[in-house]
Amino acid sequence: MRPAAEMKDFRRDLVSLLPKLRRFAMTLTRNASDADDLVQEACERAIARSHLWNGDGRLESWVYAMTRNLWVDEIRKRKVRSGSAAAVFELDQLNVEATAEKAVYVNQVQKMILSMPEGLASVFLLVNVEGHSYRETAEILGIPVGTVMSRLSTARLRLAAMLSESTERRA
Amino acid sequence: MLQTKGLALEVRLSAYIDGELGENERTELDALLARDEEARTLLDKLKSGSAFGSGAFENFLHDPVPLALVRQIKQGPGINPKTERVTTASLPRRSTRIWPRILAASTALFLLGGAAGFILGSATDLAEPTHEADQRPWMDDIVGSHRVYSRQKEHLVEVPAAQSAEIERWLAASVGVNFTVPDLDRKGLTFEGARLLVANGKPAAQLVYRDRDAEVFTISFLQQGDGQQPDAFIETIRGDLGLVSWHREGASFAMIGPSSDPALHDLAETAAAAI
Repeated sequence: MRPAAEMKDFRRDLVSLLPKLRRFAMTLTRNASDADDLVQEACERAIARSHLWNGDGRLESWVYAMTRNLWVDEIRKRKVRSGSAAAVFELDQLNVEATAEKAVYVNQVQKMILSMPEGLASVFLLVNVEGHSYRETAEILGIPVGTVMSRLSTARLRLAAMLSESTERRA
Repeated sequence: MLQTKGLALEVRLSAYIDGELGENERTELDALLARDEEARTLLDKLKSGSAFGSGAFENFLHDPVPLALVRQIKQGPGINPKTERVTTASLPRRSTRIWPRILAASTALFLLGGAAGFILGSATDLAEPTHEADQRPWMDDIVGSHRVYSRQKEHLVEVPAAQSAEIERWLAASVGVNFTVPDLDRKGLTFEGARLLVANGKPAAQLVYRDRDAEVFTISFLQQGDGQQPDAFIETIRGDLGLVSWHREGASFAMIGPSSDPALHDLAETAAAAI
């Protein structure tokens, strides 16, 4: 069990991390309500396991990995419930209807980001936006470094295409 | 460093942008980019995608974080954020959990109905986790004042910050607590001025600050001994407001700000050291 003061610091750090954690969760779930539930579960787990956090490295990497594991578990449960045998990361296309239901929560650009095939946004966020190395990103997401590289370049090209389309539409 | 030879050019250039390549590969790609226009076009495309995506992801940070979650993390056990969701839908849960929840919800509704008269006559917010020390009447008064005055954008304070010396003299004499206006600039708070309030029938001072997002923070204090331990900081949450209170030398102090602000406790400690 952690001393009370350390536990308080841990909780404070976790609260500070919430906006970024929620953003990361959005790249996994691709809708706001699932992301909020996922963040909540991840925080509960992080607090319950805070004694395992040794303070080395970035807290966010530790919590992100936990969040990603929870989401993989959730996807598996959903597949069992729905009777689907597809692998977790084989769902390459966005569930447009589900996302459309949540459209009120996200602006146009966010929707474009969330419409990228599964796995691309998380890699892009971790490397390009938050500055994690390829290796750190691979560890957080539980994928090989080679997959990080290919997803990242794909994400960048898709985003460039989105920018181009968006610019043409406005012209 | 990574080895990307043999991989698609966009993958190699992407790693080139991120500085993940060794010196040899970097030199090789530098040479390719110098002579091949298509490679340069591809690099520009990857870079434009990076810039566009980075800007888009910034927007996600502006989305509100569910308040109940912040409360749960800050205050630990004793609150169930699932009953206080800001957002609506939730992940599908195991069906075995549903019936106990329905039963619990029915029981809670029954009890709430039976106690409705009491609840309507009470100022206590049942949804809020309250700390025993937070029940003091003066707290109710200063929280109420904070709520009312923080919305008075044009008349936020009674005496402006430009008259700091006058504020210190006037409020010390009125409240009976000697103090110095804490300089919280380094913490991102700008002093706006002060008010004299009535809290629990006594004069109380309220120092008003704003952060860079124009959120209002106040430090309130009054003369009294309420049994609180010296230097003990007690953090509680009331609705959208967070409070950190402490007691020192016959005076009670409270810092109030948005409950979602994780730095409120630190701010209170800094203020306590400077006041």
